[in-house]
Amino acid sequence: MDERQLMLKEIQQLEFVAVELNLFLDTHPQDQAALRHFYAVRDKLLAAVKRYEQIYGPLTVVGFTPKTCPWQWIEGPWPWEIEYV
Amino acid sequence: MRRKNTHTRDNSQSVGAGKENNKELPVEEMLWGDLADIKALGLYPPPRLAQAYVLWQKYGKTFSPAEALEKGTLFPELYSPYPY
Repeated sequence: MDERQLMLKEIQQLEFVAVELNLFLDTHPQDQAALRHFYAVRDKLLAAVKRYEQIYGPLTVVGFTPKTCPWQWIEGPWPWEIEYV
Repeated sequence: MRRKNTHTRDNSQSVGAGKENNKELPVEEMLWGDLADIKALGLYPPPRLAQAYVLWQKYGKTFSPAEALEKGTLFPELYSPYPY
């Protein structure tokens, strides 16, 4: 697992936790502890995505990739080309 | 205007085959053939077999992100270790 896949793995994990908390908060909108946890995870997730995108290129077109030329979106591997081992 | 009964299968196959079909049928009968027969078979209205009771989930301990992704849930109380 090279550095890139490790970072991707971390992003996937954080995103999964965010989705789980999202679903929980949908039915428990007042839960302070869950809310704190969600916002903490969201900050970590955005930081992880930012780090990844500035090194390896965009995960989403509207991400944090530096405004360079040429257009980066077509450079990175397509999702089905990435080995999620 | 007599509405052509287009919803049920060919009437000869439907359960209430013998029913005279010239009057306008209520929707259930159109869809189910002869409702009396269906009720006799115990298919309608469906019997209530069980009453589910699901505890209201409380926020408590949570898995680490790595463990949560691997186990498929963030909450230990929702995790089932059994393969199927």
